[in-house]
Amino acid sequence: MCATNAIHMHAIREGTTRLSAPCRARCPVHIDVPGYLSAIADGRFTDALEIVLERNPLPSVCGRICLRPCEEGCRRCLLDEPVAIAQLKRAAADFGAYPVRKRSFPRPESIAIVGSGPTGLTAAYDLVSWGMHATILESEPLLGGMLRYGIPSFRLPDYALDRDIDHILSLGAEAKTRVRVGRDVTVSELAEENDAVLVAVGLPLSRTPPIPGAELPGVMSALPLLAAISRGERVEVGSRVVVVGGGNAAIDVARTVRRLGATKVHLVYRRTRQEMPASEQEVKEAEREGVTLHCSLGPVSIVGDDRVRALIAARCTSIPGEGRRAEPTIDEEQVTRFEADTIVFAIGQAADVTDLALPLTPRGALEVDPLALRSPAEKVYVAGDVISGATTVIDAIAAGHRVAALIYRDLTGDARPLEQLDEESAVLGKVPDAMASKLETRRRIMMERLEYFESVQSFEEIESGYTEYEAAREAQRCLSCTSGARLTREKCASCLTCMRVCPHGVPMLQLGGYLYFDADTCHACGACASQCPAQAIALEGHSEDEMIQRVQRQLTNTSLETTLMFACGSTPILPNIAPGDTRTLTVTCLLRASERTVLRALQEGATRVVFAGCVESTCRFPHARKFVRQRAARITALLEALGMTDAFFLAEYDDALDWHLP
Amino acid sequence: MIVMRQKPVTEIRDMVARHRRVLLVGCNTCAAVALAGGEKEVGTLAEILRLAMWRQGSQVIFEGALLQRQCEPEYVMQLDAEGYDALLSLGCGAGVSLLAAMIDVPVYPALDTMFIGVSQGLASWEAECSACGQCVLGKTAGICPITRCAKGILNGPCGGVSDGRCELGDRDCAWVLIHERLEHFGRTEEIAEIAEPKDHSIHTKCPAFGIVGMEESDPGEKP
Ligand SMILES: Cc1cc2nc3c(=O)[nH]c(=O)nc-3n(C[C@H](O)[C@H](O)[C@H](O)COP(=O)(O)OP(=O)(O)OC[C@H]3O[C@@H](n4cnc5c(N)ncnc54)[C@H](O)[C@@H]3O)c2cc1C
Ligand code: SF4
Ligand code: SF4
Ligand code: SF4
Ligand code: SF4
Repeated sequence: MCATNAIHMHAIREGTTRLSAPCRARCPVHIDVPGYLSAIADGRFTDALEIVLERNPLPSVCGRICLRPCEEGCRRCLLDEPVAIAQLKRAAADFGAYPVRKRSFPRPESIAIVGSGPTGLTAAYDLVSWGMHATILESEPLLGGMLRYGIPSFRLPDYALDRDIDHILSLGAEAKTRVRVGRDVTVSELAEENDAVLVAVGLPLSRTPPIPGAELPGVMSALPLLAAISRGERVEVGSRVVVVGGGNAAIDVARTVRRLGATKVHLVYRRTRQEMPASEQEVKEAEREGVTLHCSLGPVSIVGDDRVRALIAARCTSIPGEGRRAEPTIDEEQVTRFEADTIVFAIGQAADVTDLALPLTPRGALEVDPLALRSPAEKVYVAGDVISGATTVIDAIAAGHRVAALIYRDLTGDARPLEQLDEESAVLGKVPDAMASKLETRRRIMMERLEYFESVQSFEEIESGYTEYEAAREAQRCLSCTSGARLTREKCASCLTCMRVCPHGVPMLQLGGYLYFDADTCHACGACASQCPAQAIALEGHSEDEMIQRVQRQLTNTSLETTLMFACGSTPILPNIAPGDTRTLTVTCLLRASERTVLRALQEGATRVVFAGCVESTCRFPHARKFVRQRAARITALLEALGMTDAFFLAEYDDALDWHLP
Repeated sequence: MIVMRQKPVTEIRDMVARHRRVLLVGCNTCAAVALAGGEKEVGTLAEILRLAMWRQGSQVIFEGALLQRQCEPEYVMQLDAEGYDALLSLGCGAGVSLLAAMIDVPVYPALDTMFIGVSQGLASWEAECSACGQCVLGKTAGICPITRCAKGILNGPCGGVSDGRCELGDRDCAWVLIHERLEHFGRTEEIAEIAEPKDHSIHTKCPAFGIVGMEESDPGEKP
């Protein structure tokens, strides 16, 4: 399911447009995906987390439940499978340390935010980061909106949500829970006390269909059911449950009632399976958990006496190509009867905005200028699902960023955050055949998870997350699109070394002796950069100076015998070289540790420097290995000339001991 | 291109050991292309020299600079050598000499200038020209006997050839190659022509050598 975008090579050559990896382009908040994946590949989880947090304040949440539009664009799709972009975000949140920043509010403005879903949380995060005061008002006892009370804990446990929320609060965002705006305080009061009010109240109500029997006991709606479970309340559903609907909420309800003890769970959806809005993967998982799917069936009535007994559903024919809004035609002749103790409707969400006393459209929705995200009421902004209709978490986050940028611009006149959101970029094309043929197939590393029979026994989180090693290994599947070789023309000596080194024919000779690096084909291995005598080639996210700083950080408080080990991030088991004081620095490839870096380390307190790893069977850039050896030989020779015979060595490891090979 | 290679690091260390503050000067033309004296090598050499001095307990400061070409006065004039008591050139012999002529501190060579050569692919060169001043390649089918013949003779081969190999054993006989190529072009009869000895006095005219009609110009002046 991969689509690729056309590229505007001309604009890129001319340097007028930024070039984006397709994953990044498809992410609604444009996270620097190759950037954080390469940090994870190096084992730098905190760096990765910081990169994610630049654009997404909810990495722990999105790492678990994002519907991952990015992965559909991944350039690896055409080779094997997309990189586990979202799950690696979870690894960043699991193993990285959230940054600790001093709270400071250099700006006087204060903003009241109604609703603590992803939209409200994101807006608060941005506004406090820019120095304003933000106070979230939430009617429920805990923050998070649908993340807390909608999405079930077996997909998103509370502890994972709290990690992100605690971080946002630590930055200085205030929160008041159990405050229902419209009842406990009015929007106009908030507007008086604050410089702006953001209404991000989501879609808290469930729709029910107007069919006979819908009022019988035993008929429920999705959202109150899910909310009751997340509050820890006991809900009896009986053993036979019919869930009506085809979205993620319907699937979540079906999987939830399985965990409440229902043994026969039928999911009834009126369109075809292809038309289901729920994510394909969730549907499959529900089926594996024992949920039976019935497509092209629409509910017509509910049979019962003192409570529900059965749902009557009729065959539906939807006309493809007519879009979502077209109603399927119901054939009343062909009916199916589903015996049921409980029927749950999950057929759509609705807003609950009457209490807010804001101007409404004739259909009862909030009236909003769609570009300015403003209500006709003074100082009031509206964003998120309440105006866009049901979307996804990452869309809600994008909405939060936009409305925060608009508020910031309107209050300060500074439009830079807004311009950053609208910045255009060209997208890298698909992997050219010449490159694809050189890339090894590498299956995606599957995350450890509960077996299906186990998972339906409790509300325990299904996926247990990658280990650090698995995360690094999976991140190494990333092709580092757009993070490859970049030339500083002025420095180039036209020596052609890069052309001779690159196994993929990326550097191409142009008139005047200059090289042109084709971003589409570059694997970002760094071989050329490691050999360029003029240091004219840079790799995105890597610099020699930064590497030396990492070395210096590793070498604080050294002892008399300190070994600095540069560890190849691709090598699973590192040799056990020196007992005692060994400091390890994981690198994407040992070629990122230059001669200069190694020699500097020996002056910064390392008694010995070791290049560890570089095993053929797991190498990510096989052609680079000979340059690693050449570099090691050169460093050894230089040091030997000074009589420093054991100050440096290359310690490989035996391939046979690599237990982690597929 | 002029091909150079780095001297042993101990030799360089001993040359500069008595100074306090040394500037390493790279050259971004031939020396860079020869992978011997570009920005990367300036950085690496400075680092290994710091390490060497630190091991000896001596305090010498090494810093680096890069010129586009060390053999042009205009470029050398861009060099800020203020405060250094020695320069270490990572250029060819011409670069070292020009630095020495223009800058009033001792200048040392970090490289050995090898030959004028052609690239044999990554990090490999072969000598093809010895800058003799009276090119004979027109008569020798583009193969330089001065460079590629171990004895540099102008009428060959000598008696030391066997099976096309030079008696030194490390190379093909240049003169056999010349004969074969002349034959290929149907110029076999030219082989019999005896070449006259070279006029070595031409080298004594260097370095006051100018382009005809521009003998009077000085380097700083615009034509
Ligand atoms: C069951 C279910 C499963 C889902 N699964 C996924 C998924 O797997 N992946 C994905 O990407 N998306 C999923 N979504 C969609 C996603 O949760 C929503 O798109 C997103 O939460 C919308 O964010 P929001 O901030 O606009 O609103 P919400 O998250 O709904 O937050 C609104 C908040 O406002 C509060 N509020 C409302 N009225 C008032 C008031 N008057 N005063 C004070 N507070 C008020 C509410 O209590 C709530 O906390 C799912 C949605 C549901 C319902
Ligand atoms: S390979 Fe990496 S950078 Fe390229 S599209 Fe996939 S995740 Fe993005
Ligand atoms: S290796 Fe460096 S100096 Fe040489 S041609 Fe390539 S970019 Fe230019
Ligand atoms: S050598 Fe590697 S980094 Fe350099 S251009 Fe080729 S593929 Fe890209
Ligand atoms: S070349 Fe060696 S060090 Fe580089 S990625 Fe491959 S195995 Fe690792």
